[in-house]
Amino acid sequence: MPDSAALAYPVRLPSQRSRIERRLLLVSSIIALALAAAGPLLLDTYSVSILIRSFLYGAIAVTVDILWGFTGILSFGQAAFFGIGAYALGLTVTQYDFAPPVVTAALIGGPLVAAAAAGLAAWLGFGPKVSPLYISVITLVLSVIFVQVIYSGGDFTGSSSGLSNFDTFDISIDGWFRIAGAFLVAVTAAGWIFVRSDFGRLLVAIRENEQRCRYCGIGTVRVKALLLIGSAVITALAGFAYAGYNDVIAPDLGTQLVIWVALGGRGTLIGPAVAAVLIDFISAWLSGSLPFIWQLIIGLVFIVVIVLLPQGLGPAVADLFRRGRTRSVAARLAPLPDADVAGSGAVPAIQVASVSRNYGSLHVLQDITFTAGAGELVSLVGPNGAGKTTLIRCLSDGQERSAGRVAIEGNPIGRLPPEACVRFGLGRKFQTPNVFDALTVAESLRIARSRRERLSVICTADEVRLPAAAMRVVQATGLSSQLGTTVKHLSHGAKQALELAMVLAMEPRVLLLDEPTAGLTKSERSLIGEVLVQLVRDHGLCILLIEHDLEFVREISSRIIVLHQGSIVMDGTVEEVTNSELVRTIYTGEPHAVAA
Amino acid sequence: MNHLIPAAIAAAAIAWFCATVPARAADQTVKIGIPVGLSGANSVVAPSVVQAAKLAAQEINDKGGIMGRKIELVVADDGSGADGAVKAFTSLIFEDHVNVIITMETSAARNAGLPVVARGKTPFIYTSYYEGRSCSPYLYVDAWVPDQQVAAVVDYFMKKKGAKTFFLAGSDYAFGRGMLEFTHKYITAHGGKVVAEEYLPMDASDWTPVLSKLRADHPDALITSTAGGAPNVTLTKQLRAAGINVLFGNLGVDEGTAKAIGPDAAGVYISQSYLTTIEDPQNQAFKAGLQKMFASDMKTPNDLSEPEYDGIYLYKAAVEKAGSFNEAKVLRELGKVSFTGPRGTITMDKQHHAPLTMYLGQVQPDGSVKVIQTFKSVDPGQQCPKLKS
Amino acid sequence: MAILFLDIITTASILFVVAAGLLIVFGVLKIINFAHGGFLTIGGYAALVTTQLHWNPWMALPVALLAGLLLGAVVELLVVRPLYARPLDAILATWGLSIVVVQMITIAFGRGTNFVQSPVQGAIPIAGDTYSLYRLIMLGVAIILGAVMIGILQGTRLGLTARAVIMNENLSRSLGINSELVRFVTFSIGSGLAALAGALITPLLSVDPLMGVPWLLNAFMLVMVSGTSLIGLGAACLVLGGAQVAISTYSSPVLGALSIVVLSAVLLRIRPAGFARA
Repeated sequence: MPDSAALAYPVRLPSQRSRIERRLLLVSSIIALALAAAGPLLLDTYSVSILIRSFLYGAIAVTVDILWGFTGILSFGQAAFFGIGAYALGLTVTQYDFAPPVVTAALIGGPLVAAAAAGLAAWLGFGPKVSPLYISVITLVLSVIFVQVIYSGGDFTGSSSGLSNFDTFDISIDGWFRIAGAFLVAVTAAGWIFVRSDFGRLLVAIRENEQRCRYCGIGTVRVKALLLIGSAVITALAGFAYAGYNDVIAPDLGTQLVIWVALGGRGTLIGPAVAAVLIDFISAWLSGSLPFIWQLIIGLVFIVVIVLLPQGLGPAVADLFRRGRTRSVAARLAPLPDADVAGSGAVPAIQVASVSRNYGSLHVLQDITFTAGAGELVSLVGPNGAGKTTLIRCLSDGQERSAGRVAIEGNPIGRLPPEACVRFGLGRKFQTPNVFDALTVAESLRIARSRRERLSVICTADEVRLPAAAMRVVQATGLSSQLGTTVKHLSHGAKQALELAMVLAMEPRVLLLDEPTAGLTKSERSLIGEVLVQLVRDHGLCILLIEHDLEFVREISSRIIVLHQGSIVMDGTVEEVTNSELVRTIYTGEPHAVAA
Repeated sequence: MNHLIPAAIAAAAIAWFCATVPARAADQTVKIGIPVGLSGANSVVAPSVVQAAKLAAQEINDKGGIMGRKIELVVADDGSGADGAVKAFTSLIFEDHVNVIITMETSAARNAGLPVVARGKTPFIYTSYYEGRSCSPYLYVDAWVPDQQVAAVVDYFMKKKGAKTFFLAGSDYAFGRGMLEFTHKYITAHGGKVVAEEYLPMDASDWTPVLSKLRADHPDALITSTAGGAPNVTLTKQLRAAGINVLFGNLGVDEGTAKAIGPDAAGVYISQSYLTTIEDPQNQAFKAGLQKMFASDMKTPNDLSEPEYDGIYLYKAAVEKAGSFNEAKVLRELGKVSFTGPRGTITMDKQHHAPLTMYLGQVQPDGSVKVIQTFKSVDPGQQCPKLKS
Repeated sequence: MAILFLDIITTASILFVVAAGLLIVFGVLKIINFAHGGFLTIGGYAALVTTQLHWNPWMALPVALLAGLLLGAVVELLVVRPLYARPLDAILATWGLSIVVVQMITIAFGRGTNFVQSPVQGAIPIAGDTYSLYRLIMLGVAIILGAVMIGILQGTRLGLTARAVIMNENLSRSLGINSELVRFVTFSIGSGLAALAGALITPLLSVDPLMGVPWLLNAFMLVMVSGTSLIGLGAACLVLGGAQVAISTYSSPVLGALSIVVLSAVLLRIRPAGFARA
């Protein structure tokens, strides 16, 4: 039952688009390689020698774009990685001789050290509560330290004079041009395939909304670290090649990579590569005659671009070539065979013992204790400020609570981050729609499925397989006819539905829902209610639900917990709670004393 | 996908741009390549170097050139660093096909340029003072090395001022370390004692810990070798502000920077092979020539720019002695010819380096330098024992 | 030992004066103004111009302050305000600005170092030795500056609204505070302070187009470590500045030059809130 039949406008499958793109990529790569091969025959020696460096910088710019333009990681450390690769060759060949084992050691050692440095930077710079500025700080510090280490190395590192005149590869300048050109083409092509793959969309998702990714169970810190390490390795290889060609390395490796990427167009891959090559090339020609004015111009253009054209000059130029409206692309939905998602039932789904949460002297939650098992649909009610969302936060993020113990499906969450808690079978839907504005509906669903079905780093799959509950939500709320729509353009209600579908797509055993029906129509609400009841009854999920719509609560819940001023004041069946004096008082605000 | 088209256009643009680069000039001239730091650390001194070169070229051309051929200067920017030097040297030697390279630059740039020079088999006259021991069959040096400069200062301090303990401070880079290591050895070899040898990173501006140590150690004399410009200024200013008035010899400062430091520089001893106050007629003519040629744009000549003037004349002499512009023949003569200029008679016959007359001067309160002692024909020592002279 | 103590507190004072402007911009606008080094340089060159005009050297301070205020206002309007919603981009734009400032100064004044007349010369006897009078004056300046800034923040309406914006900008706006004006004024004052600091440090340094560069990274790390509190900045300057002096004196100045940066990075990882009280 392909959904495309029911769609109102033409949508292509990812594999169709990818086939066209790959073909174009192949053709342009071949043209580029041909240009690289023919270049030395057409250009003068000076240009050839400059372009070798420009090509290597272009390859690095591609990795910086993947880090920054796609994933939002602004790294200033490329100068250090480049230098590590270059000095690896220079130092080993200077100390020992230019023999195959030595060179191989440098070829492996340089990138290895760069990877280690990147790993250290990642460990320091990517953490749960760390500001995104911090990784930029760390990588900047890394570059400064690297330069100082080289300066203080005396004769060993050549200090400020650098190392020169060491034995190196016997390759002609034309040969190096072709190697550098091929390197650029290879890195750009590989990068292109990577960012167009499903995993590539994850990069954008992390940049947009890292928190949502973590709540989908994705180890974002690990992803970012791997990206940084990957960039470091490629950059070090470029440095190695540069040292091999140039026969001279010095610590004055000023890089303006960030500027080139910004000017070329963040997130376009080709733009930064072209900008890097062009600007580096032109700078070399102009630096003699107009050193300061050229730098001034670059600086001014950079500022203008950042302020007025944040996408960079590349896309602005490319827009002139864009022909009309492109058709959207979306994967198809396919149902998952009904897996039995239920827990064994022997272990309670949620166990909360003496949890409290304080902000300084403000006690938001005090001594919360309850247990919920499989097959229960527990509604959490209470007036505003009672601490309901805070409680949900404490259940899903091990670092939130100030005291107490929480266990999901028998696993204590300790101080684990959200992605680890989610892996115990937890799903959380946020109060305001917490989705990926820049991705399409289909892509968002795929990311939600990523824990169960790995994202390919090369391909884009044509199908997103959803469990029955998620499928129902998607079809009934009309999302199935908007698979290719960018989430930014969805209505508030549709975003709510999408987030719910994403959470359900994770096949959780425990669901934490924060006002799932806000913004939905009455029929949608009853649909959601049905879905939730079915999940609990047929699949044995445990659902903890925050809701203000008391009608809705009464219809579907099996149990109600009332929270007031940070404590549980009542925990019982629907009848008990709805008929309780106490609850009425709390909601109407009559000044009766609240029993502890 | 939409970005591949502009990329292709950009690639085509590059190719077109390069193809229209102007063709090589005619070879009725003799081309002297000058890769120099128009940008970067040396950009302050580069203009004076270029002026000295232009003066020499004009004087020689007015008298008929070198063996009938006029001198054409080709100046390229080496960014004061290794990377830029490779580009500049490559373009000068392989694009512009210069006959010789005569220039001053940082050690990083020089080291980077040497392999290119060797590949192109082009003579290279290096006109900057440096830390010594850079050797290549193609490299000749007409400026001083530590063996020549340090002796003047240390000897004066030890013999005339009775200094026995020395404190050495410098910037942490090749020249700084090279100079002070040599100084350390020289002092110890002559019976003095070095109480400390402190280095600060090249771009550091806070000398407080070094000064506090200096204060605590109470040496008889301070000898410094910092990177040009800023570190000299900051060290001198902070030294004076701290009220420290020790015998102060600065191996890394020139007349111009001394003037920029102002009254704080008064009393500092410097040792140079060229001072604007040298009294011989060649220096008067040199200064007058610069004044006439550049008028208000004239940059004060100094120990980094004047050797450029000497270098061009030395090349002329070598070509005339060889009777040809052939690089190999010229190289053979470069170590044998002499030129008498503002610095006296110079011959690069000691392992490709030149014995020089060194002037020990003291900076006066008005910024000028008073010559205290003159050391004639100081030997450069064993710079390149492996090279035949 | 007394000299070491004096070295530490005077170094901390100089760092404080340089970083203070950066701190208030960070607190209110939540961005790191990478053009801070450029403003520092502008202040230095303002002092140079004062010397060239043969005015009293003390006049360099108000000239620098004024130059910084005016330029800061222009920058805020043209560059920072449009980037309100994109803080990382604002930081990048200020970085581009620092490049532009250095190039413009180089084109206007040349790349060489210049002589600037100091308002005060010499050293005074202290603790059995002599110590730089100007450094001691900087100690006084830092204390006065800190006191004035805290006074403004705690005692005036502007300070109150600034603190409100620092704590919660959205809430402040909904309460009717014109946060745009607060940001504008803060950025201008921060830039003015940077220029003033530049003029204040010229007696100890050379004036050249790149004079601001080494200070920027240190100031930046100190600000990140101190959170949004002036007292925190003072503490950070003392502790980290002290570490720099101690390491430079007892180990090597090369390591010392790195100490602020490395220690701050580690500190921020361990305690992201830095020196600010929780």
